[in-house]
Amino acid sequence: MTTPAIELVGVSKWYGGFQALKEINLSIAERERVVVCGPSGSGKSTMIRCVNQLERHQRGDIRIHGRAFGGGARDDEAIRRETGMVFQSFNLFPHMTVLENCTFALTWVKQMPEAEAKRIAMSHLERVRIPEQAAKYPLQLSGGQQQRVAIARALCMQPRIMLFDEPTSALDPEMIKEVLDVMVELAGTGMTMVVVTHEMGFARQVADRVVFMDQGEVVEQAPPEEFFANPRYDRTRMFLSQIL
Amino acid sequence: MAPDHTPAPPLVFTPRPSAPPPPSTVGVMGWLRANLFSSVPNAILTVLGAYILYVFLEAIISWALVNAVWEAPNRRACLDAVGRSGACWPGVIAWLPNLIYGLYPKDQVWRIDLGALLLVLWALPLFLPRVKSKVAIGLTAVLVYPFLVSYLFLGGEKGWLWMGLVAGSLATFFWVWLTAICEMRTGQGFIPLLVRTLAGPDPIPERARLVRQLAWAALFVTALVIVSRWQLVEVPTRLWGGLFLTMVISGIGITFSLPAGVLLALGRRSSMPLIRGFCVAFIELFRSVPLITILFMFNTMLPLFLPVGVEVDRLLRAIVAVCLFAAAYMAEIVRGGLQAIPKGQYEAAAAMGLGYWQSTTLIILPQALKIMIPAIVGNFIGLFKDTTLVSIIGLFDMLSMARAVGEDTRWLGLFIEPFFFITMIYFVFCFAMSQYSMNLERRLGGGQRR
Repeated sequence: MTTPAIELVGVSKWYGGFQALKEINLSIAERERVVVCGPSGSGKSTMIRCVNQLERHQRGDIRIHGRAFGGGARDDEAIRRETGMVFQSFNLFPHMTVLENCTFALTWVKQMPEAEAKRIAMSHLERVRIPEQAAKYPLQLSGGQQQRVAIARALCMQPRIMLFDEPTSALDPEMIKEVLDVMVELAGTGMTMVVVTHEMGFARQVADRVVFMDQGEVVEQAPPEEFFANPRYDRTRMFLSQIL
Repeated sequence: MAPDHTPAPPLVFTPRPSAPPPPSTVGVMGWLRANLFSSVPNAILTVLGAYILYVFLEAIISWALVNAVWEAPNRRACLDAVGRSGACWPGVIAWLPNLIYGLYPKDQVWRIDLGALLLVLWALPLFLPRVKSKVAIGLTAVLVYPFLVSYLFLGGEKGWLWMGLVAGSLATFFWVWLTAICEMRTGQGFIPLLVRTLAGPDPIPERARLVRQLAWAALFVTALVIVSRWQLVEVPTRLWGGLFLTMVISGIGITFSLPAGVLLALGRRSSMPLIRGFCVAFIELFRSVPLITILFMFNTMLPLFLPVGVEVDRLLRAIVAVCLFAAAYMAEIVRGGLQAIPKGQYEAAAAMGLGYWQSTTLIILPQALKIMIPAIVGNFIGLFKDTTLVSIIGLFDMLSMARAVGEDTRWLGLFIEPFFFITMIYFVFCFAMSQYSMNLERRLGGGQRR
């Protein structure tokens, strides 16, 4: 059996006395696309943020392509670079142009010559269909455009795994589609994807597996057809009845 | 006949041209009406304000210019000529060199002028177009220029180390201008250009490094030859004074306080308890004590702790005190700026693989410093004016020099004029700083607003 892209073994995390994650076990294969859903406060964001160690977990192991976090800051940085992350609030750097947002990490982290970094950045901006905005500043763009830039920026670092933390929750309805289209296209390229979202249409269309979380636990997981047609737990049924 | 069912042709909409606005809202009259005479109380206030302004300005102008005496041997002559209705400028004119240079020997004053000129020349490439190495030039102006200029101001015997530092500083100055000129004319820096001409367009790294080292060595030797020929008389710091001293203290305070403040602010937000504890203690200690107290402490108590025979220059003590005080204040300003940057920016930087220092210097600080510009410049202006306090520990800054005019036997009692004069000087400097900061804000804010 091949090593999974992401493996969580008995991962727990506390904020003070509050346990946000309760011994999560989850294994995500390479090229697999997983949608994580659940009510707010269920720990889904915390979980995805532990995967690239924006939040540190306190117990258990997280392995990315077989390598576990916790072996010194330098190793952790290297492991983290296997993942790219897209945030709910975009988090583009407002003092840089769209192009600089994309080339920035290439030149500083990967020490790439500027011309090559620009070429890579432009190819990804084209991929998210926004190359004509390269010279603008992020705040001059619409929310949907900003989120697409954020996706391009993450892709520039050539991650093998893409993490999406509610990428469409801060967007107006008519902009959600343009971002989802880009994500669907990305899914078609065989990228390993973990998406925290409430877009059940997207889950149906793209996901290999839907994971439902509540109260810091994985309640159930199943392929989308099965998940939506006959969820096994009452909690899942209640959740689905409220959002569908 | 069948009813006609063809629809009526669509009406064509032609927008009508914009009419000019009513005359009462535009032009000088419109502005006056809208802003100064919009209502009866407003009109009364306007007239009253104009009257007060007139009385005030008229009094100042007639005192400072119309009734003023410009030539007189002493204050008696002034008083005989116009009494107290006009200013007595000859006293200020006679003391002008002292107001600016303090007690610095008259025949050595050119060294101060040269030092100031050097600073202007060093910073000039920063404002020239097509110069690319602006960051490097700016850094050398802050880090390297002080060696050259402190020898220029201090003079005296120079040991080998001191001479080497001064020569290195001068060599850097040559490099700054050679680089600026080369970049403006060819788009390439001086050293890269030299490497290209001497070692070919695509040289082997060893050869390029050799050329680079030789170039620096040549610059350094040239500078060393020049510096070794300089024989500058020593001017002890107790003779420094006036505007010159004010500029030295506030200049050093300003250049030190910003980086030190940034480090302290970062330290205060650090997760390492030892560093955080030190920074918190430092900031709180220096912020909760008046500057005068700190100056006194450094001046009178520091010698008690030092071993016998170790003498720290009084000016140096004052400068250290001002720097530490300013750094503590700056730290809190910077911390405020850092707090205004959303957490998502740190996270996005971290998620892209940037380490702490990279994300701090490249993502967080540029944004934070930009929003802090008004507060930082406000602090600089405050610092510039606070340097007047060093007169307390016996240094002759511009304020003490102004007071000395009225104690001169020829100009006994002449206080208002010199104070008026230095008020103008302070105003010019502070106003220039504030205007520059506004200009900076506008330029940096450029494309980032919605």
